[in-house]
Amino acid sequence: MGRSYFVDEAVEEYLVGIQTAPGSCVTGLLAGQSSPQRDFVVLAVQTPHRESEGQPKASRGVSPLDDIDVEWVTEHAKQVSRMLPGGLCILGLFLVTPPELSKDAQNALKRLIFAMDKYITKGRLWELSEEDVTDQVTLHICSKTKKTVCKTFDVKDPKSSAKPADWKYQTGVSSSWPMLSCSVAVDVQIPMTGSSSDITDKCMKDGLRRWAKQIEAACCLINGRHALDDSELVSGQKKNPKTTHRQTLPARIFVSDAELDERSSALVQLCSGSVKVRGVVHCRAYIHNNKPKARHAAQAIKRDIINTVCSRVEMFLEDLLINEGSHKGLCSGQQALPRRVFAPVPVSGLSVCDYMFPDESTADVAERLKEMLDCKTPEEDIDTSLEGNQLFSNVCGSEITESPSDDSSKHVFSEVQTENPKNQKAPQYYAGVAITAAVALLATATSLLYFNE
Amino acid sequence: TVCDFIFRLKGILEFACQLDNPNGVQSQSTISKSFQDLRSKVTSKNIVFTVCNSPVLIWPNTGFQSSVESLTEASACGDILQWIESDDGGSKKSSKKKDKKKSGPTVVNMKLLFEVTEPAGNTAPSLIRVSTQQHCVKMPLPLDCALSVTTDERLETVCTGLVEALNKQLADMEEVVLQYRKGSSFLVPQPFHFQLPEPAGLITVVYPAGVPDSQLQAVREDLHRKFELPCDRPYLRRANAFHFPDAAYKDGYLRNPHIHLNPPNIEDAKLYLVQGVYSYHHYMQDHVDDNGWGCAYRSLQTICSWFQQQGYVETAVPTHTQIQQALVDVGDKEPRFVGSRQWIGSIEVQAVLNQLLGVTSKIMFVSQGSELATKGRELANHFQTEGTPVMIGGGVLAHTILGVVWSENTGQIRFLILDPHYTGGEDLQTITDKGWCGWKGPEFWDQNAYYNLCLPQRPKSI
Repeated sequence: MGRSYFVDEAVEEYLVGIQTAPGSCVTGLLAGQSSPQRDFVVLAVQTPHRESEGQPKASRGVSPLDDIDVEWVTEHAKQVSRMLPGGLCILGLFLVTPPELSKDAQNALKRLIFAMDKYITKGRLWELSEEDVTDQVTLHICSKTKKTVCKTFDVKDPKSSAKPADWKYQTGVSSSWPMLSCSVAVDVQIPMTGSSSDITDKCMKDGLRRWAKQIEAACCLINGRHALDDSELVSGQKKNPKTTHRQTLPARIFVSDAELDERSSALVQLCSGSVKVRGVVHCRAYIHNNKPKARHAAQAIKRDIINTVCSRVEMFLEDLLINEGSHKGLCSGQQALPRRVFAPVPVSGLSVCDYMFPDESTADVAERLKEMLDCKTPEEDIDTSLEGNQLFSNVCGSEITESPSDDSSKHVFSEVQTENPKNQKAPQYYAGVAITAAVALLATATSLLYFNE
Repeated sequence: TVCDFIFRLKGILEFACQLDNPNGVQSQSTISKSFQDLRSKVTSKNIVFTVCNSPVLIWPNTGFQSSVESLTEASACGDILQWIESDDGGSKKSSKKKDKKKSGPTVVNMKLLFEVTEPAGNTAPSLIRVSTQQHCVKMPLPLDCALSVTTDERLETVCTGLVEALNKQLADMEEVVLQYRKGSSFLVPQPFHFQLPEPAGLITVVYPAGVPDSQLQAVREDLHRKFELPCDRPYLRRANAFHFPDAAYKDGYLRNPHIHLNPPNIEDAKLYLVQGVYSYHHYMQDHVDDNGWGCAYRSLQTICSWFQQQGYVETAVPTHTQIQQALVDVGDKEPRFVGSRQWIGSIEVQAVLNQLLGVTSKIMFVSQGSELATKGRELANHFQTEGTPVMIGGGVLAHTILGVVWSENTGQIRFLILDPHYTGGEDLQTITDKGWCGWKGPEFWDQNAYYNLCLPQRPKSI
């Protein structure tokens, strides 16, 4: 008995509308939500065109299928999974091929799906539970007949073979899905046992994993009710495809500070320093409305909390690595992590998110949404109000002693003249223009002074 | 004043601080500052009490709010019971009503949690890095507060009381941590509850983990003075800690099975019982097949368990082998005694109690079983002053006497007997129904055999 995929009509439209050059293939992602009984697909995005570094690669293999850039497909999947709020995730891949390549498509899809799952789940701070569905869907589309073949693979089992699955189109699959939301105060103290970037990365991961476990074990109230046992999520909304109103359910999370162990003495580590992750994150999660259990909804919002903190720390460290090389690592002082912004996906109205570095603007976000999710979102629809801007200058080396438990009672504010870490991500239009203008003004003022004399 | 409820709040708070120099003068104030932060945390609006096995959440620091509409500021604390799902589903049906006695106050267990949602601000996160070499100290503090209340006490008052108790416990913990700290070595402060005679009632003392009772004598002396406790018997050793009625004993032995029995109704007679807590030891326990020869050993184990649980000794209840070895060590038996299945009597029990526990005992000799009925006064006195279980050996059997019902006027007497010859499992129902722990008359004894009784004496210590 195979799985059943209920797919939004908007996805059908998108897939039908994909343009393929004759004889070539197009890959893409399918996103949505899995539940034990059935799966829901709400988004499809084709793999963006990769800017080639010089000469386009000569065809290596016998067929265009061999030319599929697995690395790029999986990288795209990772980027997109960071943009999906809780409850939504990558469910699988689609592959459009000309008729003559159809019979080899299955193998290509199998290779891709395993590679993608492996790449996306690397570095995840929470474990899959027994109830989590580990099947991923592969959809093959013939570019000429538009006929689709839908199969699933259990990505937990490397030897698994393709199982047939149902692919059904429906209107408004997610239109009545309630959205859970909350803002969470994060305050994690992580000791650093070294200063190289490898050690920093490991310490950060360990520290965040401990925090993630607290969140996973936390007590959760959804809409004022305990999310316990097998009770159904009470959203008070009947399933009605005509209703476009989506309910927002507030979630509240209560943690216990730490795990108790049987030790009789404190854990003391000699550290070369410490890193604190502190601030408020805004979180969202969707839950399908086919008799969902409250605890699944709780799990979805908790995973979003964990993912959003983990993602932005990862992005920050990746960025650091690109800009400064691996020898530098984190510098002292306070540095802003990218903040989360939300935007609606056209038609379904589901929120997707993105992360804005301090020197970026909504224009950059819009550009990324277009590139990664193939959706045109007007800049004014991008909501940047949910997480507040960090109000301090992002200067390395300034000792801002705000932590009350520091052993130093001295409040040193020594400004070391270090260059602002330049961000390769976005062109520094605004900053650059401002500096140029200032210099020009200064030059004019100086020259005026001289001339007047 | 009888308390109907005990509200028990448990939770873990992580104590964390960074010390530049653990031996420097600054470190004490850093540690105190961290404790100050923890005290602020428990008085903040973010703390929440969840009531175990129920959907109830209470925010005690927001002028009392609960997640359940019917529980408000004005609610009596007893109202909370209707929301709690009990663990056992009606196992009480099978017990005979007349034998059931009141089991004491109801315990309401609560857990301390912190809300991380609904934050004060919404500034997105930053990374804050400190690059000085430091000692990072992390220690989970096992908070455990208990409040004894009557049923009409308001729930709001209980919660405010618990917040105060948390604050006080943190202050006590800070004191203990600072007192026993050596550089960067910190001992975990552990709370223990003790049920003291009124008016003190249920109190909590924080002891440093890993420091044995023997080294905390001075602390106990201070507390004995403060609470006006007698100076010759222990009240505040860790073993004396209050056992909450709803908690199971981890070792699986039954405690005080006799409390489930009603004493015989003899005209003009008074009840004299063992004081405190003992464990029921009997044949076949601990995978030792001592059926037919181990009865005196088991009675001795019951007595040892009493001294351990009253806090007089820290040593575990001895095994048959350890008992035999002790007798060899004092020269009472040859080395080949160890591993044998030889019986022992009251004299040997007295010797082992002395050798392993440092406890002295009086021996009472009765030339024939029928005479035991005349020993009412001696036994009554023993239970009143010492209150220890008595081992009796004679004929071919050994038993434990846990108390007497005795009339000074008529001389009528009944004996509360704990029988070590029971070979079954720790089933309270069977043990009480079938008389393995039960009241017996003078005819219980072999009227012609002679008996020796070992009456252990309490050491004078705290």
